[in-house]
Amino acid sequence: MSEEILISARNITKSYSLGRKKRHIAVNDVSLELYKGETLALVGESGCGKSTLARLLMRLIKADSGRICFEGTDISALSGRALKPYRKRMQMIFQDPASSLDPRLRIRDIIAEPLRVWRVCPDKTEMERRILDLLDMVELKESMIDWYPRELSGGQKQRVGIARAIALDPELIICDESVSALDVSVQAQILNLLKRLKKELGLSCLFISHDLSVVNFIADRVCVMRGGVICETADTETLYAHPGHEYTRYLLSSIPAIGDDPVS
Amino acid sequence: MSDILLEIKNLTVSVRNGKSDIPIVKGVNIEIQRGEIVGLVGESGCGKSMTARSVMGILPGPARKSGEILWHEPDGTVTDLTGLSEKALRDMCGLRIGMVFQEPMTSLNPMMRIGDQVAEVLRIHKLVRNREEAREKVIRLLKEVGIEEPALRYRSYPHELSGGMRQRVMIAMAMIGEPGLLIADEPTTALDVTIEAQILRLIRQMCVSRHMSALVITHNMGVVSALCDRVYVMYMGRIMERASTGQLFANPLHPYTRGLLSSLPRIGKNPEYLTTIPGNIPEAGREPVGCEFCLRCSDDERRCFFERPSEIETDEGHYVSCFMCQRV
Repeated sequence: MSEEILISARNITKSYSLGRKKRHIAVNDVSLELYKGETLALVGESGCGKSTLARLLMRLIKADSGRICFEGTDISALSGRALKPYRKRMQMIFQDPASSLDPRLRIRDIIAEPLRVWRVCPDKTEMERRILDLLDMVELKESMIDWYPRELSGGQKQRVGIARAIALDPELIICDESVSALDVSVQAQILNLLKRLKKELGLSCLFISHDLSVVNFIADRVCVMRGGVICETADTETLYAHPGHEYTRYLLSSIPAIGDDPVS
Repeated sequence: MSDILLEIKNLTVSVRNGKSDIPIVKGVNIEIQRGEIVGLVGESGCGKSMTARSVMGILPGPARKSGEILWHEPDGTVTDLTGLSEKALRDMCGLRIGMVFQEPMTSLNPMMRIGDQVAEVLRIHKLVRNREEAREKVIRLLKEVGIEEPALRYRSYPHELSGGMRQRVMIAMAMIGEPGLLIADEPTTALDVTIEAQILRLIRQMCVSRHMSALVITHNMGVVSALCDRVYVMYMGRIMERASTGQLFANPLHPYTRGLLSSLPRIGKNPEYLTTIPGNIPEAGREPVGCEFCLRCSDDERRCFFERPSEIETDEGHYVSCFMCQRV
C-alpha cells in the first residue's frame, strides 16, 4: 500500500427529491481517500448511502456539490468525452451475478464487450487469447467460452463478472455487495479470488458490504457509514479491536457469534 | 425423557422433470422436542425449505412427497400430517404450527391493514366471538412482538413499515393461534445485522415464554449459533450431521460441516486465504451414486463413490453420516 491517493472525494453531497419541496440527503458532505493498492471497505446498513457514494465516485451519477479527484484531476465537472478515459480505469462488480450478465450472449461475448468498445484487441486471435487468459485468471475452464450464463452456477457467473471487470486492466475495482448473494462455500472461493487478483494485478478496490465478517477478511481500511455520513474510518485491525464510534460498537455487537468466537 | 412434538420420518420429496423424478429431499429424519429450537442449515438448493414446506403441506405444484410427518399431542395421540385432508391440515397449520417466511414484503398482503391481516387468522379459525375481541388480542400481541403504539400501527399498511417491523408482524401472525411449533424459513436473511439480532432475540423470547418449539431454516451459521439448541446439517437432500449446537461448533465431524465452518470469514481470525470447499454443488439429479459429498470431499476413499454411509452415533446425541468418521 502506497501513500499515493488514487481517488478522493471532498465534501460531496447528493440528495434526491421526495416531491413537495422535501429532499432526501443520501450522501451528506462526505470526504474520503482511497490509496493506491489498498482495499477500502464501505460498511453500513441498507439505505445508509454506501452504494450512492460508490456511484458518485464512479461518476455514474452527478454530485450536487463537492469534488471528486482521480489521481489529482478533478473529474466531478468533466462531461461525456472528457470523462471517457477515466471510465476505462474504474470498473464495477455487481451484487447479483444472474441479472448482471446478458442472458442472450455467450461468455465469450460478455467478456469481449469491453475489449471491443475500447478496441483493445483489434486482431481476432489476439482477442481470443485475451479472453482465454481472463477465464484462466478467474479459474474457469476454457471450454466454457461458448456457454451461456444460464449454464453456469451462481459462483461461476460471478467469476465471469469479475473477468469482465478486469478485462481492461483497470486501476480501481468497485465491488458492490459482490459476494452477498452467494452461498457460504462459494462466497469463500470468490473472496479468495478477489484477494488474489487484487494482489497479482496491483488493483485498488472499493468494497461495499453490509457483512462485517467479510470486510474483516478482505479490507485494509474500513469506513463505517450511517445516514449518509461516514462516522468512523480506521485500519481494519484497529476498527475491530477498538471500535471508536458508538455505532460501530453497536454493529459489531449485533453479529451473531459462531461457536465461541471472540466477538465483543 | 423423550417429549417429542414433531417427528419427520423418512421424508422424500421429488420433482417431476420430463419422464424422470428428481429427488430433492432424500429420506430425511428430524425430531423436534417440546420447547426446543432446532436449526436446519445448508446451502441453497439443498432441500431445507422443501423439508419445511412439506410439514405445512405447501409444496409447489410439481413436487411429490412420501414419508411420515408425525405430530404428537401432549395426551399421547399421534397424527400423521401427510394423511390429513386439506381441511384438517388447514386447521393444523396456523393453529398448532405457525410459519414465518423470508421476505416479509411479499408474504404480507399489501392491500390489507396489518392488524386485519393478523386478525384474519383468528377469524378463519373461529378463535374469537367478535371484532372487538379480535382487535384486543391482536393489539396485545403486536405489543408483545415489539411494535410500538400497537393501537395506531393496527391501521398501518405493510408499505408503511420497515423490514424489521414487517417481520415482527409476520411473527405476530404466526403466533396468534398460539402454536406449539414455529417454522421460520430464513427469518432474518433480508434484514440488516442490527435488526437481525433483535428478531433473533424476539424468536428466542417467544419460544421460552410460551414453551414453544421452533424449526429454523437458515444458511447462516451465526443464526444457528445464536438461536438453536440442536442443528441438522443438510447437503443435497440428505442430513449429513446432527448434534447439539455446542457439540457441532466445538467438534464438527463431517467434512462438509468442517468445510462450511472453515469457509466463513470470522472476526478475530485473520487468515491470508480462507479454506474453501473445492468445486460446485452438483446439479440436482446428477449426484454421485455413493456419498453425495464425495466429489468435493478432501478425505474421500474409494468406497465413498459407490456406497452411501449410514448414520452413526459418535458421541451422545451427535450423529454423522460419513465413512471416515466411523474409524475414530
